[in-house]
Amino acid sequence: MKNLSVAVLVLAALFVFPVTGPALAALQVDVTQGNAQPLPIAIPDFVASDPGQAAMGAQIAGVVRADLDRSGLFKSIDPRAFVERITNINVAPTFASWRAINAQGLAAGQVEVLSTGQIRVSFRLWDVFGESQMDGRILTTQPNDWRRIAHQISDFIYERVTGEKGYFDTRIVFISESGPALKRVKRLAVMDEDGANPIFLTRGEYMVLTPRFNPTAQMIAYMSYIDTKPRVYLFDLETGKQEMLGNFPNMTFSPRFSPDGNKVAITLENGGNSDIYVMDLRSHQMTRLTSDPAIDTAPSFSPDGRQIAFESDRGGSKQVYLMNADGSGQHRVSFGAGENGTPVWSPRGDLIAFTKQHGSHFTVGVMRFDGSGERMLTNAYHDEGPTWAPNGRVLMFNREAQNGRGSQIWSVDVTGRNERRVMTPGDASDPAWSPLLK
Amino acid sequence: MPRPTTARQPRIGLLVSIGLHAGLVAATFFTWSRLIEMPNNSHTVPVELVTIADETNVAAMAPPEPDKPEPDKLVQPDTQMTPPALPDFTEVQPPDPVAPDITIKEPPKPKPETQKSKTQDFAALLNKLTAAPKPAPNAKKGAQAITGIGNANAMTADLADALKSQIYRCWNPPVGAPNASDLVVDFHLALNPDGTVSGRPQLSSQSAMAANGNAYTRAASEAAMRAIYQCQPYRLPASRYGQWRDIDPLRFDPRDMMGQ
Repeated sequence: MKNLSVAVLVLAALFVFPVTGPALAALQVDVTQGNAQPLPIAIPDFVASDPGQAAMGAQIAGVVRADLDRSGLFKSIDPRAFVERITNINVAPTFASWRAINAQGLAAGQVEVLSTGQIRVSFRLWDVFGESQMDGRILTTQPNDWRRIAHQISDFIYERVTGEKGYFDTRIVFISESGPALKRVKRLAVMDEDGANPIFLTRGEYMVLTPRFNPTAQMIAYMSYIDTKPRVYLFDLETGKQEMLGNFPNMTFSPRFSPDGNKVAITLENGGNSDIYVMDLRSHQMTRLTSDPAIDTAPSFSPDGRQIAFESDRGGSKQVYLMNADGSGQHRVSFGAGENGTPVWSPRGDLIAFTKQHGSHFTVGVMRFDGSGERMLTNAYHDEGPTWAPNGRVLMFNREAQNGRGSQIWSVDVTGRNERRVMTPGDASDPAWSPLLK
Repeated sequence: MPRPTTARQPRIGLLVSIGLHAGLVAATFFTWSRLIEMPNNSHTVPVELVTIADETNVAAMAPPEPDKPEPDKLVQPDTQMTPPALPDFTEVQPPDPVAPDITIKEPPKPKPETQKSKTQDFAALLNKLTAAPKPAPNAKKGAQAITGIGNANAMTADLADALKSQIYRCWNPPVGAPNASDLVVDFHLALNPDGTVSGRPQLSSQSAMAANGNAYTRAASEAAMRAIYQCQPYRLPASRYGQWRDIDPLRFDPRDMMGQ
């Protein structure tokens, strides 16, 4: 009987053990792969109380949808698929009917005209699965500025969902090109980030190149061949006034503002040697930063203003170099294949965009500021001259077709995805992205 | 008189022996079944070696049904509305708002609360997304680390794998954002026996703190939360509910995907 008791105890222990064993520990799961896809978002036409305002509500929603679609991070859902019709944005939506069409976000807005003649646009951004409001804003402006309101709403949505600032309420300055190849007319032009509202700033009598915005987006530095002498000029967008940046006997080119807007780095040619200088815009004092007999050009400040990336062929081929803002500590950072030039520091500070020439091909890529992690973002015949969106997430660049059919502006995400053409009136080159407008 | 004695002793011994053997066999089937099943069930490779292709196969056996509209149990649109008070664009102040607003019935929480209508302002609505969550009743204390080793993980590697394979397709990782290491977020997720999410998934205190201070981490945590909700219900073996009822941590780690 003793043996039997032991057996029973053993059996009981065997049954009990697993219940108190490790099986009750919480399951641990580590998700390391995802499905990077645009976020489906529903943006119904903004509601309004009368048909005239409703037309504007539809236009605003249309611009927001187009902005977010263009980013590649969102996919607006076709309004014809909507199950619920939003008639009052101050009533919580029926989330299930938006989940039914796979919307993850819902931006519902309305337009009102105030007694002052201004329009007031309100919107709420809803997390459809979390069933909570993510953002809610009212924006007021003159009716003519409705597109800016739409871009700002796009920026709010983009920032709230991705965590980073948007870039839709910005402008692009570029060189508009027209006419035959041998008698090309190049005009300075600006337009909204989505290609709307293009404006020509010069008439085309003189060739213009390499325009750059200052940090307030009010001033453009560019190179022009007025009186056949290539010089750097400043264009004040508010007053329309132009002035030459300093008066030098020789060619000046490749201007770029410092992050505080108080200085412009430029290249000065002297007796066949090009070197980089910085001009203080308040005192007009010039400081020479490089003195190498090779060609040093294309300066670009780091976002903190402490360093400058530039291109130089002092090592035998064109490569990207860095130096401190006072010209000290010059050293080469690009060691990849081919020749690398036109460095542009990301507003985030983490990357430098550049143009690589490999054989007859020009492509746009990024590298870390120490030269490591080189990644090419484009793979066409001739892409060059990158410029960053103010959030450091997207680049625009100049694309020339192999058959010489002219030049276009294209954009690409910093991940190398979402390459698409930027619509411009006619051929265009040399884009430069403004900061977010105030 | 030795015969009866000698005849009886072997019989008792035989009975005890048979009983013990039978007991062992029964124990083996009924008690150790999980331990014995382990090698068969965990033909799935350890978590860190799984490839997408493997996971896709697992998912193919148990496809989620994202298209199926679910009955909306959680929220009843409330008709008691007050005019919104939103920040005005001309003031350029981000929302520091403000007045009473949309009334929303809260989703059920682990601890039942008194049923009263909650009128919440915008700040309160936003706080729901960012406030440090209360620890779940059975949440682990202190820092957590995934060891990937030990009986518990070995026994449940197939479950972890099955869950991953269902959730990954709904997860839109924050590729392209800077500082990927800031974007790793941990949740405590409780599941109902039918595979639906029970209550609101809770960010770990560390992740909640990070999300409060960093817009990118906040966005990453919200994207992960959307994935958790969107891909439910999760198809996992009902007989082993005790092993997948609590998932802690459910970690979303985009570091391997950055730059893609």
